[in-house]
Formats: sequence, C-alpha cells, structure tokens
Amino acid sequence: MSDDAVEKVAQGEDILSFVLSEAKKLGATDADALYVTSDDYSISVRKGDVEKVHRSMSRGMGIRVFRGQSQAIVSTSDLNRDSLSDLVREAVRLAGETAPDAHSGLPDPEDLEFRRPFPDLLLEDDGRDAPSAKLRLDLALSCEKAALSYDSRISSSEGAEFQSSRMTRQMGNTRGFLGGTSRTNYALSVTSIAKEGDSMERDYWYDQRPFFRDLDSPGAIGAESSRRAISRLNPKRPKTGNARILFDPENARSLIGHLLSAISGHALYRDATYLKGREGSKVASSLLTLTEDPFLPGGFGSRPFDGEGVRVAKKEILSGGILNGFLFDSYSARKTGHKTTGNAVRSLGDAPVVGTSNVIVTPGTEDRSGLLKQMGDGILVTELIGFGVNTVTGDYSRGAFGYEVRGGEILGPLSEFTIAGTLDALFSGIMGIGSDVSRRSSIVCPSILVDGLRVSGI
Amino acid sequence: MGSQESGRDLAGFFEHRFGASPDVLDSVMNLAAGSHIDFADLYFEHTVSETMSLEEGIVKKAGSHISQGAGARIISGEKTGFALTEEIDPKMLHLTMATAREIALHGGEGAARSPVGKMVRTHELYPVTKEGLVLPTDVRRELLSEADRTARAYDHRVKQVMVSLATEVKSVLTVREDGQLSTDLRPLYRFNITVIAQSEKNRQTGSYGFGGRVPFSDIPDIERIRLGAREAARQAIVNLDARDCPSGTMPVVLGPGWPGILLHEAVGHGLEGDFNRKGTSAFSGRIGEKVASSLCTVIDDGTIPGRRGSLNVDDEGTPTSRTVLIEKGILRGYLQDRHNARLMGMKVTGNGRRESYAHVPMPRMTNTSMLGGDSDPKEILESLDRGIYAVNFGGGQVDITSGKFVFSTSEAYYVEKGRILYPVRGATLIGSGPEVLTKVSMVGSDMSLDSGVGTCGKDGQSVPVGVGLPTIMVEELTVGGTA
Repeated sequence: MSDDAVEKVAQGEDILSFVLSEAKKLGATDADALYVTSDDYSISVRKGDVEKVHRSMSRGMGIRVFRGQSQAIVSTSDLNRDSLSDLVREAVRLAGETAPDAHSGLPDPEDLEFRRPFPDLLLEDDGRDAPSAKLRLDLALSCEKAALSYDSRISSSEGAEFQSSRMTRQMGNTRGFLGGTSRTNYALSVTSIAKEGDSMERDYWYDQRPFFRDLDSPGAIGAESSRRAISRLNPKRPKTGNARILFDPENARSLIGHLLSAISGHALYRDATYLKGREGSKVASSLLTLTEDPFLPGGFGSRPFDGEGVRVAKKEILSGGILNGFLFDSYSARKTGHKTTGNAVRSLGDAPVVGTSNVIVTPGTEDRSGLLKQMGDGILVTELIGFGVNTVTGDYSRGAFGYEVRGGEILGPLSEFTIAGTLDALFSGIMGIGSDVSRRSSIVCPSILVDGLRVSGI
Repeated sequence: MGSQESGRDLAGFFEHRFGASPDVLDSVMNLAAGSHIDFADLYFEHTVSETMSLEEGIVKKAGSHISQGAGARIISGEKTGFALTEEIDPKMLHLTMATAREIALHGGEGAARSPVGKMVRTHELYPVTKEGLVLPTDVRRELLSEADRTARAYDHRVKQVMVSLATEVKSVLTVREDGQLSTDLRPLYRFNITVIAQSEKNRQTGSYGFGGRVPFSDIPDIERIRLGAREAARQAIVNLDARDCPSGTMPVVLGPGWPGILLHEAVGHGLEGDFNRKGTSAFSGRIGEKVASSLCTVIDDGTIPGRRGSLNVDDEGTPTSRTVLIEKGILRGYLQDRHNARLMGMKVTGNGRRESYAHVPMPRMTNTSMLGGDSDPKEILESLDRGIYAVNFGGGQVDITSGKFVFSTSEAYYVEKGRILYPVRGATLIGSGPEVLTKVSMVGSDMSLDSGVGTCGKDGQSVPVGVGLPTIMVEELTVGGTA
C-alpha cells in the first residue's frame, strides 16, 4: 500500500467511527457505514492530439441506521463533521418513519468476518509502478496511431483513452466489524471508424488490469479495434429463422449475468424470478458449471468480505447445469429461511442487494475454431445491444451484430437482427463451451455455443 | 426560479455555503484568462435527494442523500481540461481551476476577460418556493400505501407491488469566462409502481411511472397515483395472457407517448453535435437531405413547463430552446453545446448538459418529440393488415455510426386486419435510424408527451429526458420475437 493509501485508510476509519458513534448517541440501535474514495485520471486523444484530460478525487460516506427493525439510509459527499452529524440525525429520524420489518438488521455476529489480516488478493499496486503523465499520453497516442494506420479504410477514430483509478472502500458496523479493501485499475481503449462507400461502422477494443505492467500493448489494442471495425463493413441481414449462435467471450459474459440475477435471494423472496422453486434441479445444459471465487488473485470482483462484512468462501453455484442454491445477503436469507451466502453488495446510497464477487465459467477444451466447426452453420455474435431481458418472465430478445458462419468458416458480417428465446431454452441449449477465456471482468468466461434461439432479420 | 432576483438568492446560497463570493469567483476565473482559452467555466452543484420505497405492503426504506461539489473546465481549441473538488472553499476552487488550466494549456499567456457579474436571464419553467419543496415524510408514506392498495385491489392475481418515490432538489451556479453568471433551482420527482402478477402458468410484470419538475406540493395528487397504480396492474394482468411474439420484418403501429423513445434512439442521438463534428454519426453532413417521410417533423424542446427533460438554463449557462431537427422529412439541425457549436460554426441550442459537477458537459437531448399529424389514430390501427401494435416500451440503445437502434416492448399486441388478436411477450425491435422515419406512412393527431420517466445514458452520464409521439404507422421494422 502507498503512504497516501495508508493515510486515506486512517481518515476513513476516523469517519466511520465518528458516524457510527453519532448514530448510537442519537438513538440508533445499530448501524453500518461505508466510506469510499476514488482518485481518477483519464486522458483521451483524437487525431494525434490531446482532446480531454479529466482529474478527480472524490469520496463519500453512506450509513444505514436501525431503530429496532426499522431502517433508513443516508449518504453524502460533504464530510464536514457538523454536516455528518446533521445527516446522521436525519437518518435516525427517518428510521423512525419506516415500518418495522421482522427480517431486517445487521448480519448475525457469527457470520461477520473478524479474521485479520486479510489475504493479499493482488488488487492494488504500491504507486511506484504507476505510469508518468507523459507515458499515459504516449500510450493513448500510440494506441490511436496503431488503430489509424492499420488500414486505409479506417477513416477516423472516436479517440483513444488511457484511464487509471485508485479506489478505497471501508466498512464498519456497530457490532465491531471494521475492514477495507483498495484496488487500482489501468485501462486503455480505442474506437475505430471504418468507411467504405456508403458503409460506415465502428468497433472498439480495450484492456484493463489492476497492475499497469500487465496491460496489453497499445499497438495490439489499436490493431484489434480496427480489425474489428473493418470486418463489419458492408453487412447483410440474416434470414428469419432458428439458428445456432456462438457468443464470443465478451458477450457470453452477459448471459451468465442474466442467470446470476435470476438466482438472487431478493428476486426469490419477491417471486420475481423464472427460476423460483428450481433449486437442486437442472436449469442449464450439463456443460455449464459456475464457481464463485471471492479470492481470485487480481480478480475484478475479489473481496475478503461481502457488502455487510460477512465471511465469504469459494463455492460452486451451478454444477453440471444443476442449480445448487440461490444467493443471499442476510435479509433475503432470513426472509426465506436460509443462511447468508456472503453475497451482499453494498453501495453508498442503498441497503445491500445481492451480487457476486468473481464468477468463473468452467472452460471447455475447444478453441474458437473448434466451436465454429461444432456449430457448422450459424451466427457468431460479437455485439449485443438493448435491454430486452426479463428475468421475471425469462424472456430474452436482444439486438445483435455478428458474422455468418457456414461449414465452420466465418463469412461476411451481419447486422440489424435480433436473437430471441427464453432464458430456459438458451441455457439448456448450450452445446459447447470454449477454452478462449476472457479475464477482463469479474465474470471470467469463454465463448458459449447455443442451439435453439430465434433469429429475426429479413 | 429564473428571475434576476431569485437568481441572486441562489448565488447568495453558494456564497454563504461555500465562500463563493463575487471576489473569489473573479479571482478563480482569472486563472482561466488567456488568449489561447476559448471557454472556461466553473460549475457549483448542491443536490439533496430523498427516497422512499414500499414492498410487501410496508414502507421498508427511506433515505436522504447529499451530493455537492464544483467542477472547473477550460477549453482551448479542441482540448478540454477538467478537474473537480468536493471540498468547496476558496483555496480548493483556485487549485481546481489551476489544475484544469495546466491540463488544457501546459501554461498559456494572460489576456483580458470580463469580470464576473452579469446574471443571465433564464426561463421560468418550474417556479418553486421554499415551502413548495417540502413534502413531509408521513405524506410520502401515505402516497406509497395508496398506490399499493390500489394496485392490489385491481385484480387478485397481483402478487407483489413495489412503489417508490424519489424527489431531488438540485441547485446549480455556473460562472463563465465572459463574466456571465447563471443559476437554476431544479426540482425533480419520480413516482414508480411495479407489479408482479401470477396466474397458474405465468408470472408477469407491469410498471408505470410519472414525474416532472414541479413543486413537491403538487405530488399528492391521489387520482393520478391511483391511475398509475391501476395502469401498472393492468399491464401485468394483460401480459399474463401474452403469447409468443412473431419474428421477422413487418409493419408496426406505435402508440402515443413513451413509444417516442423511437425518436430518441433512431434520430436524436445521431443529431448530437459532438458525433457530427467528428463525422462519426450516420447523419453526419446530411443537413438539408431527406431523412424521413414528409409527414415527420421532429423537435427537441427544453422549454416545456414542468417537464422532466426541461431546463431553465443548460449546464453551460445557455437558456434552453426549441430546436427543429427534422422538418417535413428534411434534416434541419443538430443539438449543440458551446464547444461543438463553436468548432462547427453553428448556433448554440442550449443542449450542453452534464450529470453532475463530476462530469463534463456534452450535447444532450431535452424533450424530443414528433409533431402530430392528420390521421385518426383509430384508422391507423385499422389499416394494419398483419403486424404489431406496440404501446409501451422498456429501454433502448443505438449504435450512432451504423445507425442501428433497438427498443424493447413491454406491452404489445398482435394485429390482423386491423383487429387486436392477443398480447405478445416482450420483444426487441431493431431498425436503422436514417431509414426508419422514411417508412412512416401515417401520423396520428394524438401527439402526447410521456409521463415523465426517461433517463438517457451517454458516455457514462445519465440525465433526465422526455419523449413524445403521436400514433404512427411504420411500414417496416424488424420484430425480435420467437414465433
């Protein structure tokens, strides 16, 4: 940890203990509070020159107070002690205005993570490794240059951007829990515009890592962005009908996200999931196994405790397509007669919801070309747009972009079509999982091949 | 707010709270003086939001949230330097502006600038008094409960009702390099009801929301709340009988109001100045060309009183306006902020908007709608031979460059020979922005604005917007169903 980070942690602990003791003093029976800081820097370039530089240091505090079993949540970016005191007083007042809820409250003490020190999850550099301002600029410039010089059909770029951030997140409650994590993130991205005749298409590429030294080279990112944009030129529209779909890793990830939201304990107690009552049964093809690993070194979702300070552990969520159980925070667990699974996620301004740390899709043995062969004829999907997913009804319908595949070979680009089905049909229709894992997100996922979806085009 | 006098009051609030006196503002803005500087501004924001939510018949959560900070921006040519602070005092304001300057200029030279002081005259689209911004907690609680009771009474198949009310008061002060000051006191509320209905075989959702920029004393309108609750319940119950939606390209009739999200995605984003300056929009360089059927006139209007997308003054100190985007099918104009208007040699339109002090302004929509036409809405539906009649939608998205856009139905029907046969399950519609309006063959006389629920996302920034549409016939859209 850098000296700067040590100081920030001390500041955070001060603020947390101040607001928690104020809450008690003002009449709260319990409280938990969160303090987050974020130092962000971004530089974007376009046409070989700087376009925008953005520098910010922001911080905020959120506290949830209980009066018996009634709760209220307040948050602020104004950390003046008098203002904090006033806001906590308002929280205590508001908690007197909400209804008592038998299942609300802090986690049971035996569920809290009191072991120290936390394991080193390799989430943060010590600051010595961080690139200079000049290097950040050079990286963005050379990334854009690589994109622009890739092919004469690259008419321009939307710009290349280098971003870095350092975040700290600390939590405390009135039952003695106090803990924090910090992480660094470095990202480089570029958007290329390809033009040929009347056809204009864009695509982008990026990389992001906790450690600067692990970031892909600007040349590789720029070239990939332009390769993708050019390959989209002069698209056709597919015929309407059923088709096999190969989702590339960046898009397969979104499918796993839908499944995870459908197994949230909050969705369960609200009857708001198509998977209600499906615990212990098959909800996907036996090829699909999902493991949650909160301790994945360098993982984008890694965390030594959950959003309520509860102990976390590695677990299989889905084993060979069988749903092992729903995911719970303390509240949804109590509501449904379960134990918390350490899946609380807390943001500054709201009570905990259910979410996951890192979720790893067990990869298969075939690379992309192997999956294409297995597919034979179908569509390789490389972009999905829109919000047509409903995990209550299980309906799935999204706009897509991709490539026609015949006999396992990629032909030309396809656009202006949708793919649709039910989430049940989609997950049970999985016929292949790739070995081409993408690690750029907390969902660590390879390509996924699905049969049985409906394509809508001409 | 908006009159000279109340503007001074708000400036006084920032002076009192953050020490932003005219002298301090002057000396901070002096840091933004220089012959290489085209624009500079300092933006102060103080926002208080209050939330309350109900589920399972009880008010489970209440909250209060404060967000405050100042953002300093300096623009030189095409370069923007931006920095922000959440600790607002004269020292931090100087430091923040100096950082923005260093970023934008790497050291430029000084030149005269106008002293701070000229207060811009803005619209008065949502006049409020201090008392009008108070809505007591017990009143809020009762409104949520009334919505819950109404939705549950609608039908025994209603199983879950979730209701929320959020209010926000945003105070902003913008100081510019030309000495112009502007202030705005922006109230905003949103009331939302979501219903889950269950039959033996099916589970479905329905939701309805409404809101706008009005005094909060106007929110306790029991009839409106009951209507909203019944509407959410009705939608969920209707959807219980939904059958698989057809797939393929077919004619689609869009109902009035919120289906105007079509305009927002298909043409609105593509007409924002930044994409067009960079030549990356499917509409770039097409002003004066025909991009829609001659039945279509599309406007963006930030000056409609009380609307969610309206603003007295945009986030750069420009009063909002009514901009004709498409006139009888011909592309007429773009939406501009100061930066893009200057670089393109065009007029500012008052569309420079930012999510907060922590974000840089960009050209954004306000309330985007199509003017009503001559057709009887009933006749439009009756002329649909075989296709979809869509009356409610969830969200949408667009790829600006290729022009492909999507939006997803939440209430739609299959129609044959002008007769509604049955509701269909949620489906995404996809089309091409520059083409879809050329296929509009009928425009109804029933233009209406949405109920005040839109939020638009762009480049990671969310801002409230409105849309509006009369009933229209689109001869060809691709419907992403499963049948």
